[in-house]
Amino acid sequence: MTLSVAATPPPFDPELGAALAAVAETNPPPLTADLIPALRADSPMVRATEEELRRDGRFTVEERLVPGLDGDPDISLLICRPTAPKGVLGCVYHTHGGGMIIGDNRTGVPDMLDWAEEFDLVVVSVEYRLAPETPHPGPVHDCYAGLLWTAGHADELGFDPDRLLVAGGSAGGGLAAALALMARDRGGPALRGQVLICPMLDDRNDTPSAIQMAGLGVWDRTANDTGWTALLGDARGGPDVSPYAAPARATDLSGLPPAFIDVGSAETFRDEDVAYATRIWQAGGVAELHVWPGAFHGFDGMVPQAALSQEAKAARVRWLRRLLDA
Amino acid sequence: MKDLAVRLAALDADAGAALRVIAYFDNLVEARAGLTSIVRGAAMLADCPARLVDEQRRVRVRVTQRGESAWADGPPDPAWLSIAAGPAILTLEKPGPPGPVGAMILERAAGAAKAVLDRTRGHAPAPDPASVELVVDAAASPDVRRQAARRLGLDPAGTATAVALETGPQVFAGPPPPFPGRAGIGPAVPVPELPSSWAAARTALRFAADGTDEDPGPTVVHHADLGALALLADLGDQSSLPDVRALDRTAAAAPWMPATLQAVADAISLRAAASALHVHHSTLQDRIAHAEHLLGWTVRDPHGRLRLQLALALRRLHRHP
Repeated sequence: MTLSVAATPPPFDPELGAALAAVAETNPPPLTADLIPALRADSPMVRATEEELRRDGRFTVEERLVPGLDGDPDISLLICRPTAPKGVLGCVYHTHGGGMIIGDNRTGVPDMLDWAEEFDLVVVSVEYRLAPETPHPGPVHDCYAGLLWTAGHADELGFDPDRLLVAGGSAGGGLAAALALMARDRGGPALRGQVLICPMLDDRNDTPSAIQMAGLGVWDRTANDTGWTALLGDARGGPDVSPYAAPARATDLSGLPPAFIDVGSAETFRDEDVAYATRIWQAGGVAELHVWPGAFHGFDGMVPQAALSQEAKAARVRWLRRLLDA
Repeated sequence: MKDLAVRLAALDADAGAALRVIAYFDNLVEARAGLTSIVRGAAMLADCPARLVDEQRRVRVRVTQRGESAWADGPPDPAWLSIAAGPAILTLEKPGPPGPVGAMILERAAGAAKAVLDRTRGHAPAPDPASVELVVDAAASPDVRRQAARRLGLDPAGTATAVALETGPQVFAGPPPPFPGRAGIGPAVPVPELPSSWAAARTALRFAADGTDEDPGPTVVHHADLGALALLADLGDQSSLPDVRALDRTAAAAPWMPATLQAVADAISLRAAASALHVHHSTLQDRIAHAEHLLGWTVRDPHGRLRLQLALALRRLHRHP
């Protein structure tokens, strides 16, 4: 039997597709490497203000310089601590998204603060160096160094080290997955769970969904090629890519903390994310997978009001409740 | 990622924002999105709660600017922006003026909502005179009336109001709309009891005036407002009653007479009657003296006014048998 992939991609969810049309990004201009400076100058990412992070005094906010890995430059951690927790504090260590090429440690933090309010979590978000200026392994090493520092300072930050989890979206989801692999392989720190939101996992960029969605939606195959090539250069797609750069390359997915993985059915990452969950199960691990029909990459951030966005956010909260109440 | 409302807000001054609104709702319609999605789109793009209400088709949707469905009781603020979407009303819960983008959101969301309503809930009940006649027909069996109610989109367990127009009966699940001509309005009753509302509406219609110089007075009459006057409708032809004949004499004497006497009967004082008639108080005094001479009784004391009111009612019943 020959399997063929229909060139016809799954339709966008009505609300999400209408939103894409409204911002004229149903067919985005191809994101090539030469456009990275312009993308950084006019970033589509929202940078939360200090005041927004404080949430009327419910969080204290500080930036902390901590040592890089093995003599790398110091890195900056954004640390938001609840001022009036209801119970024992945990910690969510956050790796931001942006295709490895844009964003900063405030990108995506408001979603983390929502969880922090719900579950009494310290939020630590790492300012890792970006590609292409810093290729692999610089970015993931920065993330791991920040994670080690965070776990080592649980007392000072006031959280229970048994309640430390990693989370990230898009490139940050890939980095969070890589942190779970590194923590397993390098003897720590122990992680309660990993939240991988539409994670960027596979530098090969050749799954049926990547091919189907080329030229469509958000973060299409061209953009993905640009991001991976920035990180890996000529090694992208070749035989020698580290699983810490592209977790889909890991041959062993056993022994990982419980994973939450979600992704849209109408995005480049659909098939690599579904495969990652499947391979965790095949390795005897624990994963929860949500594939949101007709959702494009980052849908819940761009159209938070949409019915599907609300469901996706609620599903993450329900998983966290099961994880943290257990 | 920056959310859509943020991106549109950044474009508000720009004609591009209106084009994006158009694209948004066009795409919702093309993708056959439901009513909630359309109302949610309006709320999201306008950054305020939005609601869609179609009482006839029992549609009530309200979505907050965060995209959450949340019905809120209580009447809409008259200052809010609203627009008709067929028989439905789409409202943005913020005061006007809407600005070019807001106006575009209203127009496009209403158009999209109307298309969905027509597609999914059927066209608003088109006049179906045969079913209306059945549903108010006391001689029809309850089963037949229940079927007619269903055809009209009426919930057999709900309430409805019968209205008598000169052209025949109409039935409304909610409060009846304004009518341009004569109308008698029955009480809201359980749907199976519509024949009683219809009987009351027909009685009320007989008390409704043409609203002309010849037949002045209210053109829309609610049976509930008639009180004991309604009993007069059962008396049969009273045109030969001396007081009614006296009124006919006054009407023949001067074209202003019916309106003058109606105003005197309806107004709280002669001064108020003069004001309603747009005549000087002393002019009215002269006219009343003339009328009283023809009537043979004074209309300036309580008993005389009651007698006038009864005579006017009987004369109108005679005109509208």
